[in-house]
Amino acid sequence: MRIHRFGVALALTIALSFSSKATAQSKPQTKPAATATSDQERDLSGVWFDDRPRPVTVNERYWIYKFNAEEPPMTAWGQAQYDATKSSFGTRAYPLAETNDPLYHACSPPGLPRIYLHPFPLQIVQTPGEVLVLFEYDSIRHQIFTDGRAHDTTLGPLWMGDSIGHWEGDTLVADTVNFNDKTWLDRIGHPHSDALHVVERFRRKDQTHLDLDITIEDPKAYTKPWTTHIEFGLRPKWTLQEQFCEDEESFQKLDKDAAAPAK
Amino acid sequence: MRKEPLGIALAMAIALSFLPAASAQTKQPSKPATAENSDQAHDLSGVWFDDHPRLIRVQERYWAYTFTPDAPPMTEWAQAKFNAAKASFGPHAYPLVETTDPLYHTCAPIGFPIAYLYPLPMQIVQTPGEVILLFEWDSLRHQIFTDGRQHDTALGPLWMGDSIGHWEGDTLVADTVNFNDKTWLDRMGHPHSEALHVVERIRRIDHDHLVDDITIDDPKAYTKPWTAHLPFVLKPKWTLAEQFCEDEESFQKIDKDAAAPVK
Repeated sequence: MRIHRFGVALALTIALSFSSKATAQSKPQTKPAATATSDQERDLSGVWFDDRPRPVTVNERYWIYKFNAEEPPMTAWGQAQYDATKSSFGTRAYPLAETNDPLYHACSPPGLPRIYLHPFPLQIVQTPGEVLVLFEYDSIRHQIFTDGRAHDTTLGPLWMGDSIGHWEGDTLVADTVNFNDKTWLDRIGHPHSDALHVVERFRRKDQTHLDLDITIEDPKAYTKPWTTHIEFGLRPKWTLQEQFCEDEESFQKLDKDAAAPAK
Repeated sequence: MRKEPLGIALAMAIALSFLPAASAQTKQPSKPATAENSDQAHDLSGVWFDDHPRLIRVQERYWAYTFTPDAPPMTEWAQAKFNAAKASFGPHAYPLVETTDPLYHTCAPIGFPIAYLYPLPMQIVQTPGEVILLFEWDSLRHQIFTDGRQHDTALGPLWMGDSIGHWEGDTLVADTVNFNDKTWLDRMGHPHSEALHVVERIRRIDHDHLVDDITIDDPKAYTKPWTAHLPFVLKPKWTLAEQFCEDEESFQKIDKDAAAPVK
């Protein structure tokens, strides 16, 4: 299944900028393009996989269907949404044929941050102006623009949101808004509204370890922001494989004429 | 719709290569891998868009649904499939509700090289060992491995194929096999089999122009190879937007309970 390819090297990207730096949205360049030494700390590239321990039972492996062991602090609206969901995961799991998980009925995009719960690798590729997080799952892309742009409200609500990022020392801070409300926050049915605001902090601790801290803020669904911590290990011999939801046996077995999923 | 921020720079990726240069599939280099015949030396990166001329009549714009004005001669097998296909494009177009185009009924991945026919941009990013084509359409990804690996028949048939590439001077030669037979070859219903073999010669002819000379070879479907020339122009201010098939109005309108699409 997993391709073990020899020698997938890590890239150090050095940009030759052809564009003017002086815009209202970007800081003026005060020094030359980053040197190899400072880029070492900022190089997030590679193929990464969730590195948390593998307990015996899948129900203990909560991080494949929700972010934290404890429940997030839901508002009354949030709790009502949650109570109406029928997930195929967790302690109150429904059989697959009864789930109203929007993903299963339409192979719709999982959204952010739910995508991090699907147990497949991700690949980070960096270009000047963009950090691309490519997910093996369903070919999903998470584009974090680091070129100084502001959020673009003309885009309308998006499945993966609208992400802009900047560096704070060795940490990439990505800020995402403009979500639609068609996805679950996780795979067990915790909700979010289109007011969802996600902040991710990526930090490469060392060559083979990447930390991701996510803050989830949604005043309609949660009474306060809450955070989760994900640890990734480098997989130097892996490359992303093709994976499409439509091929999944679970999707194919489902009766697609069943009742429309609850949101 | 289109984001147009200032300051998207082109990256020259300079990699510290950990890879040996020689493999059974690539020519033995006569000079070190970091010279002209490597990823580092040739920058195809950027957001690219179809550069065919913009003729007035949409019927003349064949590149929106096929590769050349005339298709190569079909085998009997292919002719039968083509006759059964009800495309919504081209000179034999059916209304959308009658089309048997597999895309419209299931939002299945469209495959390759048909992805080039969709009038949306593509972004090329490069890492050592890989040139990645990111299509705006449906978040599709086409990975061309340049790390010297061979095709991997263990993968089984793929929607986007299994693509390996090497450099010949300034040209990336990409060879793709291992296709499944669930997709159309183009948007007017020309078929392909699992024997499809695609060879591309991709070259950046100047800063703002990229060409892909593509050869489509499928002896089960066509009595001779089919070649086409695909021109692209750089869009330095563009970034890929989010686009998912499920959101397309045309998909939503189709009666998904209608007859299964003809393959």
